[in-house]
Amino acid sequence: MADSAAELFGELAERGHDPLLEQVKGTMRFELVDDKRVDRWFLDVDNGDLAVSRKNRQADCTFRADKALFDGIARGDVNATAAVLRGAVAVEGDWTLLVMFQRLLPGPPAGRGRRRNGNNGRRT
Amino acid sequence: MSGDGLVKILDGNTFVVSDSRGDIEASLTDPTGLFSFDTRFLSEWVLTVNGQRLTPLSTDDLQYFETRFFLVPGTGTVYVDSKLSVIRSRAVGNGFHEELKILNHDEKPVDLTIRIDAGSDFADLFEVKDALKKKGSYSARVKDGRLVLGYQRDTFARATDISATAPARVDKKGLTFKARIAPQGEWSTDLDVVTALLGSGEKYDRPKFARPRGRQNMEANLERWLREAPALESEWDSLQQTYRRSLVDLAALRFSPPVTGYHSLPAAGLPWFMTMFGRDSIFTSLQALPFAPSLAATTLRALGDWQGTHLDDFRDEDPGRILHEMRYGELPAFEERPHSPYYGNADATPLYVVLLDEYERWTGDRRLVRDLEHEARAALNWIDEYADLMGNGYISYQRRNEETGLENQCWKDSWDSISYRNGRLAGFPRATCELQGYAYDAKLRGARLAREVWKDPEFAARLERQAAELKRRFNRDFWIEDDEYFALALDTDGKQVDALSSNIGHLLWSGIVDKSKAKAVARHLLGPHLYSGWGVRTLAEGEGRYNPIGYHVGTVWPFDNSFIAWGLRRYGFKEEAAQIASGILEAADFFDGRLPEAFGGYERTLTRYPVQYPTACSPQAWSTGTPLLLLRTMLGLEPVGDLLVVDPALPVGIGHVALLDIPGRWGRVDAFGRGRVSVGEKKRLRQAAQTASG
Repeated sequence: MADSAAELFGELAERGHDPLLEQVKGTMRFELVDDKRVDRWFLDVDNGDLAVSRKNRQADCTFRADKALFDGIARGDVNATAAVLRGAVAVEGDWTLLVMFQRLLPGPPAGRGRRRNGNNGRRT
Repeated sequence: MSGDGLVKILDGNTFVVSDSRGDIEASLTDPTGLFSFDTRFLSEWVLTVNGQRLTPLSTDDLQYFETRFFLVPGTGTVYVDSKLSVIRSRAVGNGFHEELKILNHDEKPVDLTIRIDAGSDFADLFEVKDALKKKGSYSARVKDGRLVLGYQRDTFARATDISATAPARVDKKGLTFKARIAPQGEWSTDLDVVTALLGSGEKYDRPKFARPRGRQNMEANLERWLREAPALESEWDSLQQTYRRSLVDLAALRFSPPVTGYHSLPAAGLPWFMTMFGRDSIFTSLQALPFAPSLAATTLRALGDWQGTHLDDFRDEDPGRILHEMRYGELPAFEERPHSPYYGNADATPLYVVLLDEYERWTGDRRLVRDLEHEARAALNWIDEYADLMGNGYISYQRRNEETGLENQCWKDSWDSISYRNGRLAGFPRATCELQGYAYDAKLRGARLAREVWKDPEFAARLERQAAELKRRFNRDFWIEDDEYFALALDTDGKQVDALSSNIGHLLWSGIVDKSKAKAVARHLLGPHLYSGWGVRTLAEGEGRYNPIGYHVGTVWPFDNSFIAWGLRRYGFKEEAAQIASGILEAADFFDGRLPEAFGGYERTLTRYPVQYPTACSPQAWSTGTPLLLLRTMLGLEPVGDLLVVDPALPVGIGHVALLDIPGRWGRVDAFGRGRVSVGEKKRLRQAAQTASG
């Protein structure tokens, strides 16, 4: 099975910058639990500049969830806010970072909103 | 206490609704209980003394967050002859804190068994409204002398922790105390009920936070809030009372969602709407700008943080769209409801830009305008890219979530609100007229911000061109030539939905109305079909669906009227604005200064008093904000550059009015006015109002 988390973080590292996060500064720590293993990812946001790393450090917001669930979030299949509300994700620290992080995620697959130029969504 | 006999106290989105004894005995559909984050944490909380229920003597609403019940044992007797007094003092915090005190007035000692029965159904607010069945499992444990009630569905876990300071026998259904009280003596215990939302894998052990906000803290907070607001001086006592009531209720309606760093924004209404609503939070922030500008700043930041970025049909989300409603309970958590958050509204997005501009004009806070440049641009982009569902250059709405989404995405959101004169309902998508006004205003205000703050004159010029073009088309397409007013909406064929409604007043507020047409619009607003004598009806008398007690088809909404009054002033109709203001403020007098969400559209001369529309929600944020905006309108307060212009047009009979220390980019200034505008039968009717309320 594809490692959607790794794909997402790889893509974010490549993206390098996202204008949607230009007002955001902070470090997020992701702890993705896969049976006994814990996968750690760190995302630094510095006024829109994105840096991904796996090196342990202080974070402003920690996000802990099952790896399978996070893979779903990374693909856009699972809504992160709803997952937090049902306790499937533990969040510690600055919630605003989590809200901002969602801006980086792909949308749900079947979004069919109308857009005048016919291009549905940011990254389809 | 509210009219339904229930006692409600709250702090943020935690609130307690009980009967007048302080007891809670909820069924799934019954709205009493301790609620927090849209979940009921206590559905049973019943006090007995020696097996007997109690009888209330009186209830003291001390503050919006605390209340005191004076009780005696026994029920059903004609008169009370008790040797015991029971006092329950309750304050909401993170859960609630209750001080239970029993006084023995006898010359002999007394032995008592005091029992609190406690339980919780952990119902989601949506379940309380719709009577739905629960899918998870319940638990009750006694741990270290505390009772811990729990609910678990998959990873979703909630707990209620109940403890007492006096020695108690705790079982899974409550707490029992044995007490011997000496003659003229007393016994007391403190009870703490703490709510807990548990994250992934968290086992509930003990409450993380007990009583985070002490009563004194909350009192000091309320005092500071009142001190920071401008002071009102008026010869009309009723206006003073209404003003104070509005400020206190607005304090109660403050809500700090988890992302705002403990800053507050106005929630929509108490108790069922203590959450972030795009439309309600924006309208209320606009109304309160001259009085409490910090609410607008938080509203703009929080709604900006949650601005839509994806196309999500379940949530009716588009990039740039401002949210409609956020909820934290079980149903949104399992995506059985879309409120995580839900985006289905067509007005909050342009109104977001309107608020941002108005906020800057009052406060001069350009930093926030710079910080939110991206959000404001995305909102403006939404108007053109995502909201024009019919491709005709107008905002219209149609839900994509057909199961649990909202059908009507304008403020008149009931099923029958958008009709033709003959009563036929319009199909979807619907382009209601006020949405076009908001879009016009947003473009012009966005242009000002682009030019002055974002330093993007090209963007500003483009927005101004679009606005001018929109205004031209709108005045052609929506104008009903024969009757001289604007249609309520355009339908899917581009035909006019021709009912006469209060929406035309919002058009004045937005400035989209051609000068040559404004007089006719004002005449309709104050004419016999729309104006009841108290205010402007949502739908004109004589229209097919008119019903004086129909939610959006004939009732008078104070909030609606406050924006209509603002609109009338914008076009120079000072007397008409003063008339609206005086009618609504006189109505407020009948409700002890707390305007309801809506009242009946009956002719004033027919009922003599405003008939309240039955609703479970009071105070309602934008009704609370109404007297504030009316004060602004009557005093003609308008920021111009770094100055505040004051141009009063007050109704005769209101006497002298002074509003002192109005905060803004000018520091603090005072405004004075005297009632000089004649609004008809004012004197006689005010007399009637005083008699009825006295």
